[in-house]
Amino acid sequence: MATLNEKKTCSERMADFRRFVWNPETKLFMGRSLINWVWISLYYLAFYVVMSGLFALSIYCLMRTINPYEPDYQDQLKSPGVTLRPDVYGDRGLRIYYNVSDNKTWEGLVTTLHTFLAAYTPAAQHLNINCTNNTYFIQDTFDGPNNTKLSCKFTSDMLQNCSGITDPTFGYPEGKPCFIIKMNRIIKFYPGNGTAPRVNCTYVGEEGSRPLDADYYPGNGTFSLHYFPYYGKKAQPSYSNPLVAVKFLNITRNVEFKIVCKVIGAGITFNVHDPYEGKVEFKLKIED
Amino acid sequence: MQDDHRLSTSELEMKYGTSIDKGLSSARAAEILARDGPNALTPPKATPEIVKFLKQMIGGFSILLWIGAGFSWISFGIQLAQGVDSAFDNLYLGVVLALVVILTGIFAYYQEAKSTNIMASFSKMIPQVRATVDNSSLTGESEPQSRSCDFTHENPLETRNIAFYSTTCVEGTATGIVINTGDRTIIGRIASLASGVGNEKTPIAIEIEHFVYLVAGVAISIGVLFFIISVSMRYKILDSIIFLIGIIVANVPEGLLATVTVSLSLTAKRMAKKNCLVKNLEAVETLGSTSIICSDKTGTLTQNRMTVAHLWFDNQIYSADTSEDQTTQPFDQSSPTWTALSKIVTLCNRAEFRPGQENLPIMKRVVVGDASETALLKFSEVILGDVMSIRAQNRKVAEIPFNSTNKFQLSIHETDDPQDKRFLLVMKGAPERILERCSTIMINGKEEPLDSEKAEAFQTAYMELGGMGERVLGFCHLYLPENEFPETFQFDTDSMNFPTSNLCFVGLLSMIDPPRSTVPDAVSKCRSAGIKVIMVTGDHPITAKAIAKSVGIISATSETVEDIAKRLNIPVEQVNRREATAAVVNGMELKDMSSEQLDEILRNHTEIVFARTSPQQKLIIVEGCQRQVRQAWQSVIYVPPALICATSQGSVVAVTGDGVNDSPALKKADIGIAMGIAGSDAAKNAADMVLLDDNFASIVTGVEEGRLIFDNLKKTIAYTLTKNIAELCPFLIYIIASIPMPIGTITILFIDLGTDIIPSVALAYEKAESDIMNRRPRNKRRDRLVNQQLAVYSYLQIGIMQSVGAFVTYFTVYAEQGFLPSTLLGVRVNWENNAINDFEDSYGQQWTHYQRMYLQWTGYTAFFVSITIQQVADLIIRKTRRNSIFRQGLFRNKVIWGTETPELELSCSQVFLSEIFAPTPRFQYWFVAVPFAILIWVYDEIRKLVWALGFPPSSPVVTWIKPQH
Repeated sequence: MATLNEKKTCSERMADFRRFVWNPETKLFMGRSLINWVWISLYYLAFYVVMSGLFALSIYCLMRTINPYEPDYQDQLKSPGVTLRPDVYGDRGLRIYYNVSDNKTWEGLVTTLHTFLAAYTPAAQHLNINCTNNTYFIQDTFDGPNNTKLSCKFTSDMLQNCSGITDPTFGYPEGKPCFIIKMNRIIKFYPGNGTAPRVNCTYVGEEGSRPLDADYYPGNGTFSLHYFPYYGKKAQPSYSNPLVAVKFLNITRNVEFKIVCKVIGAGITFNVHDPYEGKVEFKLKIED
Repeated sequence: MQDDHRLSTSELEMKYGTSIDKGLSSARAAEILARDGPNALTPPKATPEIVKFLKQMIGGFSILLWIGAGFSWISFGIQLAQGVDSAFDNLYLGVVLALVVILTGIFAYYQEAKSTNIMASFSKMIPQVRATVDNSSLTGESEPQSRSCDFTHENPLETRNIAFYSTTCVEGTATGIVINTGDRTIIGRIASLASGVGNEKTPIAIEIEHFVYLVAGVAISIGVLFFIISVSMRYKILDSIIFLIGIIVANVPEGLLATVTVSLSLTAKRMAKKNCLVKNLEAVETLGSTSIICSDKTGTLTQNRMTVAHLWFDNQIYSADTSEDQTTQPFDQSSPTWTALSKIVTLCNRAEFRPGQENLPIMKRVVVGDASETALLKFSEVILGDVMSIRAQNRKVAEIPFNSTNKFQLSIHETDDPQDKRFLLVMKGAPERILERCSTIMINGKEEPLDSEKAEAFQTAYMELGGMGERVLGFCHLYLPENEFPETFQFDTDSMNFPTSNLCFVGLLSMIDPPRSTVPDAVSKCRSAGIKVIMVTGDHPITAKAIAKSVGIISATSETVEDIAKRLNIPVEQVNRREATAAVVNGMELKDMSSEQLDEILRNHTEIVFARTSPQQKLIIVEGCQRQVRQAWQSVIYVPPALICATSQGSVVAVTGDGVNDSPALKKADIGIAMGIAGSDAAKNAADMVLLDDNFASIVTGVEEGRLIFDNLKKTIAYTLTKNIAELCPFLIYIIASIPMPIGTITILFIDLGTDIIPSVALAYEKAESDIMNRRPRNKRRDRLVNQQLAVYSYLQIGIMQSVGAFVTYFTVYAEQGFLPSTLLGVRVNWENNAINDFEDSYGQQWTHYQRMYLQWTGYTAFFVSITIQQVADLIIRKTRRNSIFRQGLFRNKVIWGTETPELELSCSQVFLSEIFAPTPRFQYWFVAVPFAILIWVYDEIRKLVWALGFPPSSPVVTWIKPQH
């Protein structure tokens, strides 16, 4: 096998390159005449304009097939996620640590709750109607204003001791903190199969067998059925998730506990891969 | 050693302190052994296997992937220290990348090793047919050379008083003085010369390197550009590094080099079936770009056996059939002269068939005897039938074998006619010597006196047959008178008590080593393929020219300078050399030529024969050929003119050879071709390819395969490069538009190393589009494997279309699950934040982090599926470069359709397999990209249509329509 002995010096290479960029004899710029470059550019311009057009057309067609009220599929939303407030995340999930005697450690938590509940003031909820019958609020027609569906009112006072109204510190300084549990919205999801789903918090791990002394608000810690089903943002623009607050009454100080709050009801499932599906887990440590 | 052959024996004895009778004393011999070492050749330095293996590990794209793996591990380390959840993903990614490199490296190493092993087993397999003669391993001369004590030639290689290491003594005994040992012998020098000629890169290796540079350049520049962009967009450095890895992985066609290796070894297998055994995989393609073939004559162009070509009797020349499998001879056999001649031919012959070959065709039987006697034996066996029984009926009573002083062979036989008690004396030999001994000549069965007119006729015939390069033998006989030689007469061959003159001349037979019947066709194929065939032989110029003419190396109409001189009847010096298209160059002339003169001959003549060349001169001729600049610059594609004027490019030269002495030329050649049957092991070792049947026509098949694989590799690369853009765009858009990640790094590897491998190998089976043997050899400088047009067309046109198709699928999946395209833009930070578990979609539904990731993985699979679907269209368009798929036939390449189904099956099964970490998308998402696949196909059909319209090369349209030329 023989060589292509074409070793060139650096300066020759540079000269070649300069020649390639602009060749004064042939008047070629980067190997093409200028008019050729113009044609090429125009071709590519046209090509990309057409491609963008096709893309836009495809997206337009896609949007035409999309139902504005509800998605075609809910493959990933078989069971609702559950979230907790206040939500402070450590390395591995939610971790709420505070010191009862140190204001600074819990003031942030309290503020989070107040901010969160700001959406549940009567003023914020004035568009929604009062519901009391505790059955699914099925609406086949658009009875609300502006061709919408009605939503049930959920105000923070329903959370009683954990509403922040009677106790603006949510029991944090006393070591009896309130936590708010929220279930994610899923369109046309009917939880509980006619029975209102209920929140239940327990210790996890070594403390698993020990009963957890807690109060649930509203009564029994249930999500009233009249908040379901959810009809989507367009149909129910003023919809607010129902909440359940839990007040831990007897947490041993200076020990880190792992607590799980599950939403119990038919249709609400758990997933080994997803720590927030149907339940919420968190670590809690109250120091003094 | 230079002068040793000039010295007399006594001078030599003095010089080496030895004696011809006693030899060296043991002590002195031990001393010399200690000084010079044993009489053995130093084996060439072989690259250690581990180095070869490591080269595979770091060559090509491997470096890029190692960098990717390194970055993965670094970011794993950092993330681990920071306690990030997903840190281990990077560890695994790094491991996967490293595995990819190691596995492809092992694969390539294995393929290379496998091709070498074929070679080793091969040399044991083929019997070395060298039983008869040989000095040939060194000088390449097929005739045995006599040795004597006389200094006959200045050149040590030509002189008669030196015998060489590695040659074999065929007959006789001799005593000699060892003047050199080991590496200092001629063969030792040749061997070191051969290993000194560098083993350089093959054209395909250069092409692949060029391609690797191009892709690596694109990968690194895009990677670095987006690294800078992402840093300036306030992404974390660590994230930016992870993007960089993704961009590199997307850009590097991981499976491609393995695919190329597989394609080459498939072609090598196919060529081995056609009797071309390729030692070095890359040489497969080199043969395709060959522009000059320097071919041996004997055995390669010819059948390597003497065959009777012409007969002269009754004042007339008859032609005999010289094809490989003659069963009858068509010339007129009715004359009684022929009967007499055939008897002489049969009886005056010592050659015999080896027993036990009765079932073999005559031409295939093994004969004990020299080349001409063998030819005559077979000739008479074909015409007369069982020669051995004829000989038995005509019992031989005396015989004088051929020797160089007599220049004839004689035998005396009883006749097969029981009534006729006369003895028949038959004789054959050099025609002029035979004629001297004759006083009569047989014409039409009657003895007539040999007058000057008849002698003139003999001379004319002898000259004519000799002029055809044939070896001529004369035949005569004499019926010994019964009264002088009764039945009981004792013939004595030493005293020659029988007449050897005044014989009756019967006829002439001329023999030649005839061309193989497939060769003329192969030579004309080479011509139309723009390949110059040069004959280099040690044979006589006349024979060489005759064979060259009969196989078409010198075409019927062209003339040499000498021919013109003869025709015009002017001295050779007055002939305009430019008018002569052909040239026959003698080795002696070549010796005195400067390299400029040689260049001039190679440049000015299209048909060249080098005769009487020594194997050393072969090397000079090869070098001369490699200096040749391809004359025709018929530019069909667009290339920076700077490149054209800056480089002048030599020809790709293929050389055939069989002797040890050929090994430097074989190494020097771009592709050395050794003869499988006649070749020495040294030649086979130095060569890149071995012709199993020693047939020139097999080279041409090899050229065809080589050209085809180059074309098909272009298709493979174009196919592979296209989807790189569809893999790269997701990263770029992810960084710029902050959408959820459309495709994962592992998914990309699934495509590159999974679904795409089989179709790209299948492209190697694609049939030639047009007659590839009707175009000029590829120009090393201009016809690149991957050129600007191919890259631009794949990257900026088809690749973009694929990306658009894949993105439409992506947006469809997200939109139908609740995230409309408008929601997705700029969502990345919150989307990926695992502290947000009530992420709101376009419909107000709320998603946990895991639910979002699950959707993202579904997106990966959908993206993967739509790339696969569009790659089917890509495969269809890449099947042909300029013919419409309708013309080429959609289903002609069974292999492609055979693999297309598995490709889709494979992608299905991968989709289901990957269920563990990525979910199966809904069935309909397989079809979202189908319109885009059709679009790709239609677009490329239009391009081919426009090409068929024929635009001038200067037209800007050409850039678009000839992307893969």
